[in-house]
Amino acid sequence: MEVELLEIRDFLVLHHPFNQLSIDALNGVLGDIEIRYLRRGTDIRQDHGLMESLYLIRTGAVELQGHDGELLARLAEGDMFGYRASPREEQDDIRGKVIEDCLVYQFPASAVDDLCEQHPQLDYFLAPVGGDRLRDAITHVGDDSNSQLSMMTTRIRDLITREPVIMPPTATIRETAVAMSEERVSSILITQEEMLQGIVTDRDLRNRVVAKGLDYDLPVTEIMTGETCTADINDYAFEAQLQMARQNIHHLPVLDEEKVAGMLTATDLTKHHTTSAVYMVSDIHKQNDIESLQEISTKSADLLVNLAAADVTADSAGHVITSVVDALTCRLIKLAEDQLGSPPVPYAWLAAGSQARSEQTAKSDQDNCLLLDDSYDEKKHGEYFQQLARFVCDGLDACGYFYCPGEMMAITDKWRQPLHAWKKYFSKWIDQPEPKALMLTCVFFDLRCVCGDRSLFRGLRKYLQEKCRGNRIFLAHMAGNALTHRPPLGFFRNFVLIHGGTHDLTFDLKHTGIVPIVDLARVYSLAAGINLVNTQDRLKAVAEGGEVSEEGARDLQDTLEFVSFLRIEHQARQIRAGEDADNFMSPKDLSNFERNHLKDAFSVVRTMQNVLSQRYKI
Amino acid sequence: MSIWKYLFNIEERRNWWMRKMPPSPLRDYYEVPFPDKEADWRQVDYLAVDYETTGLDEDKDEILSVGYTTIHGSCMRLGDATHILTRPQGVIPGESAVVHGILDDAASSAEALEDVLPHLLRALAGKAMLAHFATIEYHFLSNACERIYGFPFVGPVVDTLALEVRVYRSQDKSIQQGDLRLANARTRYGLPRYRAHNALIDAIAAGELFLAQVATKMDKKNIMLKDLTVVS
Repeated sequence: MEVELLEIRDFLVLHHPFNQLSIDALNGVLGDIEIRYLRRGTDIRQDHGLMESLYLIRTGAVELQGHDGELLARLAEGDMFGYRASPREEQDDIRGKVIEDCLVYQFPASAVDDLCEQHPQLDYFLAPVGGDRLRDAITHVGDDSNSQLSMMTTRIRDLITREPVIMPPTATIRETAVAMSEERVSSILITQEEMLQGIVTDRDLRNRVVAKGLDYDLPVTEIMTGETCTADINDYAFEAQLQMARQNIHHLPVLDEEKVAGMLTATDLTKHHTTSAVYMVSDIHKQNDIESLQEISTKSADLLVNLAAADVTADSAGHVITSVVDALTCRLIKLAEDQLGSPPVPYAWLAAGSQARSEQTAKSDQDNCLLLDDSYDEKKHGEYFQQLARFVCDGLDACGYFYCPGEMMAITDKWRQPLHAWKKYFSKWIDQPEPKALMLTCVFFDLRCVCGDRSLFRGLRKYLQEKCRGNRIFLAHMAGNALTHRPPLGFFRNFVLIHGGTHDLTFDLKHTGIVPIVDLARVYSLAAGINLVNTQDRLKAVAEGGEVSEEGARDLQDTLEFVSFLRIEHQARQIRAGEDADNFMSPKDLSNFERNHLKDAFSVVRTMQNVLSQRYKI
Repeated sequence: MSIWKYLFNIEERRNWWMRKMPPSPLRDYYEVPFPDKEADWRQVDYLAVDYETTGLDEDKDEILSVGYTTIHGSCMRLGDATHILTRPQGVIPGESAVVHGILDDAASSAEALEDVLPHLLRALAGKAMLAHFATIEYHFLSNACERIYGFPFVGPVVDTLALEVRVYRSQDKSIQQGDLRLANARTRYGLPRYRAHNALIDAIAAGELFLAQVATKMDKKNIMLKDLTVVS
């Protein structure tokens, strides 16, 4: 090419996927460009060559319309359309209309195919499916992950390097010690038919055998620790680390469903660096007054910044950040019980909304409620629980988790009820799904027991699960509700942006990108009778259960991860700039790469919403 | 427009000179018929051309570089884009070097104009020449041809500046100073601003302006080549 075409090359360099090409490769691409000027009102129809070329808009704006003339996207400078530029399912009926005079760079289809063959980067981006492109984006974004915080992203599964070292309960102490020595391990698991019976550590041999002069031929069950904490193989490594820090233990048996899968030791974890979240949580558990808790929770903003800087996945960042508010809640409950005395009847403190789903980012409002045992008598016990709820909610508010404007908190009398009352609430919401009920359902269907009597909570959950599964009428209402937040059609200058007020010329990342996916996942999992609350977990589980296609679920998982990741980065940027974190993003803050992928993300969500709406005939 | 008046009926002159002229790249150029002036503008091929020169006087100043690319109907092809530096006989005046950035060193390694002209003439054969303020391009080329081959250059010429003047006239607007400059005209059509200043990017810039101008006119009537040319 002629170097004098720099002006045009410089434009390509700014736009994904051309920015992935070497300068030499770009120079080659330039020769394939045909420049056209399209006047406003020009109809680029299917039979008029829309799919015969790939178009890159240099200036101006184009509207893409679907089969029935519905608006699919509004495209502006740097956007592409035409051959291989749209997701497969949209290609057949698409038509383009020029809505603002355009200068376009046009690549003939044959040239596009040739370029894709020469440059895998182009081939990948111009592959026909939105979801694949998004996956590309996620791996691209996460490329240079910081090993320091890799624990946030590492699952325990990835840390277990060997088969568990095990002994049957019938073994003697001596046999056990010999096995440990031969296997060079500091702890051993006692199992029967792959079920965990107990654990024996070096320290047990020292303290319980040698120091006490115990007979080595006694069965090992004499010295093992039977009731022990365990971790799930799918948990994040930092969750195991938290557990060890809290319980002051160094060995954690790992289970895959009920079966023994391995052993995780403190040494395995210290290979990875400790993290500020872990320190924060263990600090929280040491504090005895609200003032010190308040001081610690000011650091949660730094936590978000660190997580963003470390490029952890948004999913694990959500878990980490939520673990801090969980810890605060538990500590506040402990302090309240210390003050008020032990509870008169069993209860469970439930988190709702994003805390329940482990999807918190920057500080948000508190959503919680209290589930009391059926033996609760308002006259006798009402006072106690009112004070407990007041103490905890006030404490959370003081720590920056402000009162919920909708009063969905345990201090509201209505949301501090015994099990039978909760069942009655849900029964009414499910049988008479009016708009207000659906709104409450969305909040209270995402519940997680943070502290207290888990069996109480399991009772409520089981009831809900049975009540919802297969209840088509209720599910149809929930599905309808899940379609209320539609992602925008595309970015077109100010088109999808909020006008006026504090958030002038921004778009709401939460309600356009995240909430729609959370809502979809909730409907899927209610329909499938799945107990999980975390959206990623729900999507994973429903794909296995067939409620939604495996590909659809995977696309949604990637989309959620991508949009959430953008949100965390945005909030981290705000915090670093000394501003309050929010969900309102200016398109100016997006790179062209991100803009393109956000469009793919929205197209995935819209596709899945359409599938849902057809399924429930809404 | 008076400058163009004596050049009318170029097709006749093409035939006359072709018969009269000894073999040369200019004669090869005349061998190919000019595009039909009655043809729909989209059936015509154009060559967007620009030069950098040492000044604006075609008798005294010299061409320093030539840039061109083809337009087929409504589509400009970058694959045909060409940029050639030419070696001037004199010294490049400082003030023009400031504009085009071509310094003596670069220019002295360039080709002589005699070697460059055949490329340009071959590219122009059968096409309409297109430039912004085309009188410069036209006269520099014609002068060079006269000097090197002994005969002047003629051909159909589309001048985007002249087209822009017509737009102003048809809208009864008065032309302010600077309105007709290439960059300002482009801005009115929403075309991007190019920072660089060289013969090829200016040729492309003029070509894009042309595409924008005809696209805007298109809704009125079927446009023929003769509706767009200053010489035909």
